[in-house]
Amino acid sequence: MTTLATGTGVRKGTRTEVTQAVVDRRLKVFNGVCVGVLIAFALIWLVPVLWAIDTSLKPNAETTSTTWWIDHPTLDSYRTLLAQGDIWNWYASSFITSLATAAGTVLVGSMAAYALSRMRFRYRWVVFWFILIGIMIPQQALIVPQFREFGALHLLNTYWAVILPQIPAAIAVFIFKQFFDNLPRDLDEAARVDGAGFFRTYWRIVLPLSRPVVAAVAIFTFVWSWNNLLWPLLVLSNPKLMTIPVGLATVQGSYGIRYADTMASAVLGALPLVLIFLFFQRRIVEGIAGTGLKG
Amino acid sequence: MTITADYETVEDRPVRPVDPDTTRVTEHGHARPAWLMMTPFLALYLLFIIGPSIYMMVMSFFDTSLTRPGLGGFAGFGNFAEALGSSDFWSSMWHTVWFTILTTPPLVVLAFVFALLADRASRGRWFFRLAFFLPYILPSAVVALIWLWLYTPQLGLLSKIVTGLGLTEPNWLGDPSLAMWSLAFTTVWWTLGFNFVLYLAGLQDIPRDLYEAAAMDGAAPWQQIRRITIPMLRRTTSLVIVLQIIASLKLFDQPYLMTSGGPNYATRPALEYVYDMGFTDFRTGYAAAVSTLFFILVLAVSAVWVFLTRRQEQGF
Amino acid sequence: MTGPMSRRTLMKGVFAGLGAASLAACSSPVGAGIAGTPIDPGTVDYWNLFGGGDGVRMQQMEDAYRKANPGTPLQAVTLAWGNPYYTKLTLATVGRKPPNVAVSHLTRMKTLQAADLLEELKPADLARHGMSAEMFNQRAWNAGLVGGKAYAIPIDTHPFVLFYNTKICGQAGLLDAAGNLAPIAGPDAFTEALAKVQKVTGQFGATHGINGDTATPWRLFQTLYSQLGGEVLGDEGTRVVLDDAKATQVLSFLRTLTVEKKLMPGSIDYQGAIALFANGAAGFHLNGEWEISTFQTAKMPFGMTLVPNVYGGTYAVQADSHTLVVPKGGAAASGQLDRSLGFIKSMLDQSMTWAQGGHIPAWLPVAQSDAFKKLTPQSNYAAAADSAVYDPPGWYSGSGSDFENIMGSAIGAVEAGQLAPDAAIAQIRTKLSALASTASPV
Repeated sequence: MTTLATGTGVRKGTRTEVTQAVVDRRLKVFNGVCVGVLIAFALIWLVPVLWAIDTSLKPNAETTSTTWWIDHPTLDSYRTLLAQGDIWNWYASSFITSLATAAGTVLVGSMAAYALSRMRFRYRWVVFWFILIGIMIPQQALIVPQFREFGALHLLNTYWAVILPQIPAAIAVFIFKQFFDNLPRDLDEAARVDGAGFFRTYWRIVLPLSRPVVAAVAIFTFVWSWNNLLWPLLVLSNPKLMTIPVGLATVQGSYGIRYADTMASAVLGALPLVLIFLFFQRRIVEGIAGTGLKG
Repeated sequence: MTITADYETVEDRPVRPVDPDTTRVTEHGHARPAWLMMTPFLALYLLFIIGPSIYMMVMSFFDTSLTRPGLGGFAGFGNFAEALGSSDFWSSMWHTVWFTILTTPPLVVLAFVFALLADRASRGRWFFRLAFFLPYILPSAVVALIWLWLYTPQLGLLSKIVTGLGLTEPNWLGDPSLAMWSLAFTTVWWTLGFNFVLYLAGLQDIPRDLYEAAAMDGAAPWQQIRRITIPMLRRTTSLVIVLQIIASLKLFDQPYLMTSGGPNYATRPALEYVYDMGFTDFRTGYAAAVSTLFFILVLAVSAVWVFLTRRQEQGF
Repeated sequence: MTGPMSRRTLMKGVFAGLGAASLAACSSPVGAGIAGTPIDPGTVDYWNLFGGGDGVRMQQMEDAYRKANPGTPLQAVTLAWGNPYYTKLTLATVGRKPPNVAVSHLTRMKTLQAADLLEELKPADLARHGMSAEMFNQRAWNAGLVGGKAYAIPIDTHPFVLFYNTKICGQAGLLDAAGNLAPIAGPDAFTEALAKVQKVTGQFGATHGINGDTATPWRLFQTLYSQLGGEVLGDEGTRVVLDDAKATQVLSFLRTLTVEKKLMPGSIDYQGAIALFANGAAGFHLNGEWEISTFQTAKMPFGMTLVPNVYGGTYAVQADSHTLVVPKGGAAASGQLDRSLGFIKSMLDQSMTWAQGGHIPAWLPVAQSDAFKKLTPQSNYAAAADSAVYDPPGWYSGSGSDFENIMGSAIGAVEAGQLAPDAAIAQIRTKLSALASTASPV
C-alpha cells in the first residue's frame, strides 16, 4: 500500500530541492524505524506459539531444560495423543457443531434480514427493535435457565444443545440487513416483476450477490463456535462428545512431567482453525473490516 | 401533474408510482412471506434467548435447585438481598470490573499503535496480520495450556527470562495480588489482533489526500497523526472501546482454566461466581438472581454500543 | 458471476461433511451427539479424580482389570480434582449421561445422594459379587449409609497422620527401643516433643500447610477438637453447634505452638511445609497419608504414625474415604449394574496396590491380611480407620467444600497470628450461620 511519502514529492516551489530531499530522507528513516519496532513486537507476539511448538517436539524428559535447542527432536507426543483417540472424537464434535452453527446462523439470519430489508409489513419496526435487544443480551448470563431448558427438552449431552442456542444471533441479522440495504434493488425487483416469489428472489438473486458477507458471517460464527467454552462445558459431559476446548479443559491426560504432551495437545487443538485462518486470511480480515462489525 | 412533479427527483422508478420506502409502511402481499421468512429466526430466538431471559428473571425469585424439578419455594427478593449483602458477590463483580480496567487501555492503545505502524509498512503486511491475529483464533483452552507452561515457576520460559535479567521471579499465578495482572497480560496477547484489524481497516478508510495536504503544509508525521489520524479514527476508537469493555466483562475462560478463580478466590469473576453457585452448589435460583444483576450490567454497556452504531444508520 | 454455483458447492460440502461424519461413526459418539443414543454399550465408563502417585496406582489397577476381563472394555477418564470434578459428575447425571462408576469422597457423596444422583446398592446385588456390609471397615461403611441404605462402596480411609523424621527424632530422644516414635500424650508432652526436635533442627519442630491451604488447618483442628468431643454442625448442617470453650482451647493451643513458641511456622504453604520437613528443617510433619510417595521418593529416613491423642479423650482423628458410587441412570442398561459391580469388586481385590499409596484399605479381607499387617509404615496408623471423624453432614460440607474453606481460613489466620481465637470463632459463627440458614438446595 501507499505510504505517507507519496504526498511529499508532488509539492513544488515552496521549498528548495535540498530541503525536499532532507524531508524525504527523514520520512524514510521514520518509516524504517516504525517498521523495525513493529517487526520486533510481531516476533514477541509469535514467541508463545513458537515455544509451544518447540516444546512439543522434545521428549518429555528434556522439556525442563528451558532452551530453544532441541537435542532429540521427536514426534512421539503427537503419536501418543493421536493414538489415544480422544482428540479425534473432539475434532468430530467441534467440526459438526461449528459447521452446523455456522450454516444455521447464515441461513436463518439472512432470511430474517431479507424480510426486514426488502419487505414492507405491519409491525416491522417492532420486530426490528425486538431483535435489536438480542444484540445486547449477553448469552453467557443465560447459562442457568438455558441449562434447565435443555434438561427439560432431554437434549443435554447432544450436539443440539450446543448448536441450537448459538443460531439465533441477532448480530448476524443486522450484518446481513446492512449489506442487503446497500444492494441495488433493481435486480431483485426485476425478478419480482418477472413473477418470482420473495423466497425465490432471496435464494436466487440476493444471496448469490451477498457472497462476501455470507463468507464473513460463516467464518466468524464458525470460529466463535469452535472456541466457545462455557456453554459446551456445561452441556457436554461425556468425554467422547466434548469439543476441543472442553476436552482440553476437562480431561487430565497423563501423570508426571508431560509438558511435551501438553504442548502437543495445544498445537493439535489449535491446528484446524490455524489452517482455516491461513487459507481465508484475507477473507477474515476483510470480513471484520467490511461487515459492519466496525460500525 | 402534481404527482409527476413530486417524483421529478426520483429517476429510477418509472414503473411504480409510489416509493415503498418513504411513503407507505406496509404493502399488500408482503406480510405473509415476510413472517414466513422470519419464522425460523424468531422461533429459535424466542425459544433460546428471550424465553430463557424471562425464565431467568422468574427463577431469581425462587429457591430453585439444580437437581430438583420445578421452581421450588418462593423467595421474594431474598436471593437479591443475599447477593447484594454478600462479600463474595461484590468481590467477584469487582474482579470482573478490575479485569476490564486492566485490559481495555492496553488492548485499545497497543492495537492503535501497532495498526499505525503497520500502515507505514509498504510490504509484508500479511506477516503482521499473522503475528497479531493468529492468537485471536486460538481456543481459550489452548491459550491457557500455553501460558500455564510459560508461567510455570522455575521451568517456564518467562521465569527463565526474568531470572536471566537478574530479577527474582514472581509467582505469576500463585500470588493473589499478581494473578489478575498475569491473566490480563495473557488476554492482551490473545485478543489484541481483533482490535488491530479493526484499526487497520479504519486507517485504510482515511483519504490519502488529507495526508498529502497536511504534508504540503509541512506537517511532520507526528502532527499528521495528531491532527488527522486520531480525529478521523474517533468513531472506530469509540466502537473498539465499547466492544472491548463488553468482551472483557464476559470474562470466564482465563480464570476458570488458569487459576480456577484462585488463589483464594482472588481472580474469580462474576460469571464464575454464577457457575459456582448454580452448578457446584446447586443453588440455581440464587445463581439466576446473580445472573440477572450481571445481565443488567452488560445490557447497560451494550446499549451504549447499539446507540453508537444506530446513530450512523438511516432507515429506522 | 459464479454465485449460485459456489453456493451450491458450499452447501453440498456442508451436508457431505455432516453426512460423512455421521456415517463414519453410527453407533459411536457422533450418533450419540445427534440422536442421544448410548455410547459404546457393554463397556464400563469409570470417572476418577486421581493425580500424582494415586493416579499411577489407579492406572495399574485399571490395567489389571482389563487383563482379567478382556470381554468388558473399560473406559477410564481422569478429570480435574476438587469442585470441577463434582460439578461435572453432577451435570452428567442431571443430563442423563453419567458414567457407570465414579469415585466420590465419602463426605461429598452424602450431598450427591441427597440430590438424588446416586443409585442405591442393594444387599442382594452386592452379595452376588461377593460383597456384604461386614466385609468393610465398619466406621467407613456406616458413615456412608443414608437411612440404613448403602449408596457408596468405601475403598479406603485416608486419615490425617503424623510424619516424623527418624534420624532427628532419634537425636531428640523421642524413639522407643524398636526405633518407632514413643507415644506422646497430653498437650504438654506434645509441646515438649516439638521443642526437643526444634533443638535438633535449629528451626522448627513441626510443619503443616497454612497459606493458601484451608484443608490442612481444618484437619488439624478437627482432630484435636474431636478429641475434646466437640462438634461443629448439627441437624444435617442446619445448626451451628460450635462449642466456644473447646474451640478456644484448641485454637489457643495452636496459637501457642506457632505464634508464641514458634515451634511451627505460622506462614508457610502446602509445598513449603513439605519441603521444610523433607530437608530436615523440621522433624514432624502433619498431613494426609497420601504424601508417603513424596517422602519415599525423597529417600529420607521417616516414619508415620497416628496424630497423638493430645487431649486424652476417646481417640479421634480427622479422615475421609474414597468411595465408588453408581450415579443415577448409570446402571440403566441391562447387565450394566453387574458389569459395574464386577469392576468395583476388582478394585477392592486390588486394595493392596492402593494401600501402597498410604491409604488404609476399607476392604477387610485385605486390611486384616498378613500382607497388609507387614506393610510399614502403613500398619502403624491403620488403627486410625476405626477412630476416623468425618466432616459433619450438611449440603455445604465435605472435602474441599465451602465449609472447609470457612473453617480452614479462620484457623489458619489464628496460626498465622492475624486473628485472635475469639475473633476467629466469631468469624466462623457468622459465616457458617449464613450457610446453615440457607435452605438446602438438594
